Amino acid sequence: MSKKNQRARALAYGGGTFLLLLFLWEILVRMTDSQIPFPTPFAVIERFVDMLFHNVGYYYTIVGHVLWSLSRVLAGFCMAAVLGIVLGLTMGWFPYVRAIFMPIFNLLRPIAPLAWIPLAILWFGIGEKYKYFLIFIAAFVPFTLNSYAGATHVDKQLVGAAKMLGANNAQVFFEIVVPAAVPSIFSGAQVALSNSWMTMLAAEMVCATEGIGWIIIAGQAVNDMTQMIAGMLAIGIVGFLLANGMRLLERRCLVWNNQGN
Amino acid sequence: MNKNVKVQVTHLTKKFGELLVLNDVSFDVYDGEFLCIVGPTGCGKTTFLNSLTHLYEPTSGEILFKGEKIDLRKHDIAYIFQEYSAMEWLTVKENVRFGLELKKQYKGINEKVKDALELVGLTKFADYYPRQLSASMLQRVVIARAFATQPELLLMDEPYGQLDINLRFRLEDEVVRLCKQTKTTVIFITHNIEEAVYLGDRILVLTNKPTSIKEIVTDELPHPRDIAAPEFVEMRNRITDLIKWW
Repeated sequence: MSKKNQRARALAYGGGTFLLLLFLWEILVRMTDSQIPFPTPFAVIERFVDMLFHNVGYYYTIVGHVLWSLSRVLAGFCMAAVLGIVLGLTMGWFPYVRAIFMPIFNLLRPIAPLAWIPLAILWFGIGEKYKYFLIFIAAFVPFTLNSYAGATHVDKQLVGAAKMLGANNAQVFFEIVVPAAVPSIFSGAQVALSNSWMTMLAAEMVCATEGIGWIIIAGQAVNDMTQMIAGMLAIGIVGFLLANGMRLLERRCLVWNNQGN
Repeated sequence: MNKNVKVQVTHLTKKFGELLVLNDVSFDVYDGEFLCIVGPTGCGKTTFLNSLTHLYEPTSGEILFKGEKIDLRKHDIAYIFQEYSAMEWLTVKENVRFGLELKKQYKGINEKVKDALELVGLTKFADYYPRQLSASMLQRVVIARAFATQPELLLMDEPYGQLDINLRFRLEDEVVRLCKQTKTTVIFITHNIEEAVYLGDRILVLTNKPTSIKEIVTDELPHPRDIAAPEFVEMRNRITDLIKWW
């Protein structure tokens, strides 16, 4: 079977299952007679389109809310990228850095970002800084871990080859260890991004006046299930786009890693 | 061949803890010669080379390069491993440039890279990444990288161990030609006796552990050598006997 054919068939199966689910949802809503009116898929999509053009709350359309959320994710994610990559790579390559930071890192690592919420609010208030901080925590761990793994798994042959060509320690680190770790850093970035996206929602649900997490909480406050589900739909769509965007970026940056094989 | 001594190894000894690997090894390498080192598998050939280059500090003894203590940062020495050591994130061209840039030899760098790629026949593949190349091409990238720096001493550690016999002969011919053309001094380590007899000007036969020198055989058969010629077979048998003989 040709590759194109295979892909078309996979798409048909996936799309078919999706449509079947929507159909079941519609049927179930029509057949049940619950006290709380559960929206049909059609109502959710209608509301979603409506939110694109009309404000949810006083100030923003859903696009505006998504942009607010993205700005928070971006800020925390970028700070985590810088610090996490630096810490991970140096811990992976320099035994002293590892000896100093590894124990603290291992102790803090299992503490979920959500556990930091109360403390973060006390420290930073309920504004933007608190959200940046939580997202930073969520992204920092995978960035550090994957950079660390990348630096420790550098091919020793290449290090030897560089030394034989006369490389000093700094050159070995920057010319060999760093580029060799890039694929691993990218897979860390994937995890960091999805962690950030999830943590952002929690942070917004706890306290915010805008953003996609707020849309859901605001829907709950007025018993508007349609708004809540439309908000969830937006989370899914944007999350999907982010993950794919990151994959595209990776493919662009790592041409050497996905050719041949 | 002129007989200037390029590398002088005196009483080289290496112990790992209590394990004596190299036992008082002394020999000279002459300027421009192709010296092959053969010995039984596991006899410490690689330890020998790593001590030579001070990747390991020898336990005692000395290695002098043109009369000075050998130093990788100062002396132009290139090393070709058994494993392919091309940097995967650099193109073929950039890999060859890499060595020159590390040594800060920026003068005429483009020409040097071009010449080196031409020598190994990879000009057409200059912009390919290592993952797109075959095993023999990868090893040629590493050879080009080594030759581009115009090393005074080239160390090769079973560089063709993973190649099939056909490619092996082709690359062996290529390396002999390159070395003669550029008058490079070579130390070539192998466990393959035929390869040693095919390539070497002299063949240094090592004993089993603890390693010392069994004998140094001079191989003056003219290049290119014919592996079916009686002189060649005789030389090969002689070395095989030396290795079997401890």
